[in-house]
Amino acid sequence: MSYDAIIIGAGLNGLTAAAYLARAGRRVLVLERRDAIGGLAATEELIPGFRFDTCLHDVGWIPPGLLRELRLERHGLELLRSDIAVFAPDGDGGGLTLGRGARAADAVRALSPRDAEKWGEFNALMSRLARVLAALYDEEPPRPTSAATRDLLALGLLGLRIRSLGRRGMVELLRMLPMPVADLLDDWFENDALKGVLAGRGVTELLQGPRSSGTSFVLLHHYLGSDGDGLRGRTAVRGGAGRLAEALAAAAREHGAEVRCGADVARIIVNDGSATGVVLRDGTEITAGQVLSSADPRRTLLELGDPLELDPDFVRATRNFRYRGATARVHLALGELPRFRGLKGHAPLTGTISIAPNVNYLERAYDDAKHGGVSGRPYLEASIPSLLDPSLSPAGQHVLSISVQYAPYRLNGGWTAERREALADAAIATLASYAPNLPDAILDRRVLSPADLEQEYGAPEGSLDHGELTLDQILFMRPVAGWAHYRTPIHNLFLCGAGTHPGGRVAGGAGRLAAGAVLRKAR
Amino acid sequence: MSTRYHAIVIGGGHNGLVCAAYLARAGRRTLVLERRPRVGGAAVSEEVFPGFKFSVFSYVVSLLRPEIVRELELPRHGLHILPLESTLTPLPNGDYLASWADHDRNRRELYRHSPRDAEAYDDFGRLMHHMAMAVKPILGMIPPDPTSLRPSDLRGLLRLRRHFAALGEERLYALYKLMTMSSADFLDEWFESEPLKATKSASGIIGTFLGPRSPGTAYVLLHHYVGEIDGVFRAWGFAKGGTGAISEAIASAARGFGAEIRVDAPVAKVLVRDGRGYGVALENGDEILADVVVSGLDPRRTFLELLEPRALPDELVEAVRRYRFRGSSGKVNLALSELPNFTCLPGAGAHLRGAISISPSVAYLERAYEDAKYGEFSRRPYLDVMLPSMIDPGMAPPGKHVMSIFVQYAPYHVNGGWTDASRDAFGDAVIDTLAEYAPNLRSTIIHRQVLTPLDIERATGLSEGNIFQGELALQQLFFLRPAPAWAQYRTPVENVYQCGAGTHPGGGIMGASGRLAALRILSDRGGNQRGTAA
Repeated sequence: MSYDAIIIGAGLNGLTAAAYLARAGRRVLVLERRDAIGGLAATEELIPGFRFDTCLHDVGWIPPGLLRELRLERHGLELLRSDIAVFAPDGDGGGLTLGRGARAADAVRALSPRDAEKWGEFNALMSRLARVLAALYDEEPPRPTSAATRDLLALGLLGLRIRSLGRRGMVELLRMLPMPVADLLDDWFENDALKGVLAGRGVTELLQGPRSSGTSFVLLHHYLGSDGDGLRGRTAVRGGAGRLAEALAAAAREHGAEVRCGADVARIIVNDGSATGVVLRDGTEITAGQVLSSADPRRTLLELGDPLELDPDFVRATRNFRYRGATARVHLALGELPRFRGLKGHAPLTGTISIAPNVNYLERAYDDAKHGGVSGRPYLEASIPSLLDPSLSPAGQHVLSISVQYAPYRLNGGWTAERREALADAAIATLASYAPNLPDAILDRRVLSPADLEQEYGAPEGSLDHGELTLDQILFMRPVAGWAHYRTPIHNLFLCGAGTHPGGRVAGGAGRLAAGAVLRKAR
Repeated sequence: MSTRYHAIVIGGGHNGLVCAAYLARAGRRTLVLERRPRVGGAAVSEEVFPGFKFSVFSYVVSLLRPEIVRELELPRHGLHILPLESTLTPLPNGDYLASWADHDRNRRELYRHSPRDAEAYDDFGRLMHHMAMAVKPILGMIPPDPTSLRPSDLRGLLRLRRHFAALGEERLYALYKLMTMSSADFLDEWFESEPLKATKSASGIIGTFLGPRSPGTAYVLLHHYVGEIDGVFRAWGFAKGGTGAISEAIASAARGFGAEIRVDAPVAKVLVRDGRGYGVALENGDEILADVVVSGLDPRRTFLELLEPRALPDELVEAVRRYRFRGSSGKVNLALSELPNFTCLPGAGAHLRGAISISPSVAYLERAYEDAKYGEFSRRPYLDVMLPSMIDPGMAPPGKHVMSIFVQYAPYHVNGGWTDASRDAFGDAVIDTLAEYAPNLRSTIIHRQVLTPLDIERATGLSEGNIFQGELALQQLFFLRPAPAWAQYRTPVENVYQCGAGTHPGGGIMGASGRLAALRILSDRGGNQRGTAA
């Protein structure tokens, strides 16, 4: 049995690529190592009766084109949107609730009238700049050195798009991208709590602190798809992130794609520099015209592929691609909702609960990790998805998931069960200092270190983005300069995972563009 | 005052002097006004203690543009650069890493620490050479404004694109990585030996308020690689007579072309009428008239003090207020009765003729930065130490020595502010750190001078004591230095220009800003006889 295309990995990107290829009439087989699809977008009953988004805090921004083209809503996808982006408790019976619209502006005004005056302008600017980002993420990365008409046209269009920001917008964009988020926020705001929350958004999933250059760029991600009146509200998927994977799989199957679970690819078969199929762990060989891998670049090229087939410089560049996961996940089954001091009603809890009281707090949390330790006072991003979607937990009970930063993959002495649990204890204690009933509300818990995220879910070095999203690893640099367009030096072997443009925070983005590259090649 | 000048240059720092020299060379009646009793700004030599001469602030030279040396004939005016031939990094375990000018000796030394690094070293050197060659033309170019549609800017952008395209894909990508990566990550791609990585990454943090693991520092590393003396890349040197001798040579060249230089002449204001500058007012009330006024001071002083901010566009004033200085380094100058004796390499060997770098590991540098992040000086700072009297015996009385210690991090905004007590404590931390490697140091000290960023600001006028007139961070470079739309040496006030290190390319004893400003003025006002923008 032979296929037009084999896709390694049934995560969001693998399934997206499958759906697009199948839609174009290709015979497609998706091979998934685990027993369930979803990859990092897994939703699992980690504790009986309680379903968790195991790895992802957020599915990220879903390109509107993807939703439309694959008609995902017809395939069962239901997005639940909260207008609340963040709730940041202050420990004194109050907190900052940020999201869209006038309510957020009021919340900022309560902290600082001066900051409130700038809040609207800041959001409008960030949203405008994020629209450039969104446009970049909708297309293959630009090719700055190519002289081909098509590429020059694309570059020209990009130039026009940036120019359309106006002089002021252009300058702000070029100036902001390399800036430390702490400096950017100092330019605009004075209130520590506000700056802390926003700075946290600039370092998510990064092993960098808010004073590191390039972190403003990461903050910009949180404005993708916002309508100009604030941070993008939290978006959840009814039934959990896994349902997004299921909708993608349904779209793929509708067009005839086959999805096989429990099929662990051991090796990519290469003949005369060209990929012709894969060998499974059990020895089964499956041939195909093309192989697409949504596994990370290093695993794809150096483990599933054979480094001896590759140019040494390319191998070196692939080895130098940095992953550096920095996040652990703590999942709690709760008998009751946490009661944050002074908080009336629980609407703010439908957003992300952020513990990043000020910029120095984040910076200190990073200092610990920089030297190979876990943050003593970690930066937390917690969410209670069962508030938007009660089907995730038994009636009256809740699920709470915490992303804990910084938990470096390369921990001094390595990750052990004890250290993993100690990290969970620290995270819970930190949260409990704002919501004292939390420890008693916990029925059970599951903890995943970056090492677990790698081992079980294929997140390389625990990186949920399949590689740091830093300026030197995006666009035409991702994953390797000169090889950023989904092709590899092995003929007919393509990358389609988050290790390629646009990376891990755009659901299905890489898969969609990779499929485009494969299809275009055939024309 | 009846004399009218073609040009007045405010500030006799090296960029002001270079600018004046080029203007005078083109036949302009030029006057330089310097606040202090001597020219040089931060590039001065002073006999701080009787018999002991110091390059008080800036202490090494490598970035001085060769075209300036050539066009101003500086050697004829007394410029004599003595090469620094080695860098020694003493280690806490009693070992050291040395880098020598001699290629084979250097390789053997590296091999001792890591055969792999010794293998990679030449390739790394080649890459950095190519990268330095790639940015070199940009350093000699008036930065085009990418937001402008003026023909001159579009031409500049086109030239830039052609330059980058000509580099070829591989070098362009490597350059992009250098511009965006941290020096620690960049060096990790090449080397494994900690002292090597740390000593190299140290040049990526100089003058910035960043640690070596922060992206953006690899560019500063490259900036320091661009230095050249007599066309040799990455050769650092020391001016005979101290860095003041460089300023004196440029001043002498300027005078040779007919420029007038007045010291003890602090300028209070630029005189402006109807949006045009027409001279300056000195602090003593004297007014001196000129067709053109050029400020060699940093952007904050130029736009917010010399000019009237209310008369400037809001956008520019806002950009200048956002422009970051954040001085992060200090200086300790010591008069020594005898040479320090380093435990790792005892005696008065060749290593004392070069730089001595206290940078045992990247984590050490990061820890030094961590103190500064929260408003303290580094308890165990990064030190770049030199013994100028070993190279130029004229700097100290016979048998005695002067030691220059560049220290980072010493934040300008230190908790509680800088006081005599905190300055002393800072000096002690520096001596204690160095004494760990050279235990006899304390007993050899006859005098010490400790300079905090606040002291540097007070003495030289550099805002917040930033040695580069503003951080060399990506968002403050090229067409953004010091402010978008005002990065081409002009100001919104007609006839008023800027020529300090706060403009492109800025930083180090380079002189490029002064030269480019002069070329800009000459081309704006016609009659450019000699020299064109590269």
